[in-house]
Amino acid sequence: MAVREIDCLCELCPVPLLKAMKELKTMEPGDVVIIRSDHSCVGINIKEWAVKNQYPVEIVEAEDGEWEIYIEKIKEK
Amino acid sequence: MKPIVTWLKKPWPYWVGGILLGFINVMLLAVSGISWQITSGFLLWGVGILEWFGLEPLRWEYFDHFKYYYAPVISNDHVFINQYTILNMGVIVGSLIATLLASQFKWKKIKNKRQFIFALFGGIIMGYGTRLAFGCNIGAFFSGIPSFSLHAWFFGIFAIFGAWIGSKILIRFLL
Repeated sequence: MAVREIDCLCELCPVPLLKAMKELKTMEPGDVVIIRSDHSCVGINIKEWAVKNQYPVEIVEAEDGEWEIYIEKIKEK
Repeated sequence: MKPIVTWLKKPWPYWVGGILLGFINVMLLAVSGISWQITSGFLLWGVGILEWFGLEPLRWEYFDHFKYYYAPVISNDHVFINQYTILNMGVIVGSLIATLLASQFKWKKIKNKRQFIFALFGGIIMGYGTRLAFGCNIGAFFSGIPSFSLHAWFFGIFAIFGAWIGSKILIRFLL
């Protein structure tokens, strides 16, 4: 299981989600990607997409105004 | 009842925001006689700044078409301090208060040169477009639809086209 990180600080929707989608394509099942963001809508935007596509997703407000969004890659359907 | 912190930190659902915005816009129109708009203020600032450099933008053909709208503001000589400026200040102060209440205030940096150039270029064409369309998505669309103006519907259709092209450009160049 690998963990990857995408630095999306200073980037606005929908760039972080698009970056996450791109990253997920290259990942193995069981891998986790962490998206770091300082834009409050990014977490909601990504969570909505992840839930719809049945990816396990978790949002943590790491510090004030900064979030970490965890997405796990699941097996191909 | 959830604690108040949740209400301050989590974004409100779209429908709550929509109702509030609609209601406040009606109040604004009733109290001040103008509906919510953003770029009219910038236009007048632009006029004021160009006048510092000795230009006379008010003689330009553009204002032949919109004189009826801006003449009261311009003739009272308040190109910088007027109701549109107050509206824009309200947007900035209001969002500052909201972000401070959520303790999410942060200075954002420019990520890289490419982001800077795209943002600058996007801002310029957006500003130019708003003047041709007589408003941005607030003035021309959000305030235009409830005014029963046909131009707002045209604006809306082309804004969707624009957003579609914009996302293509974004995927192609910014990822």
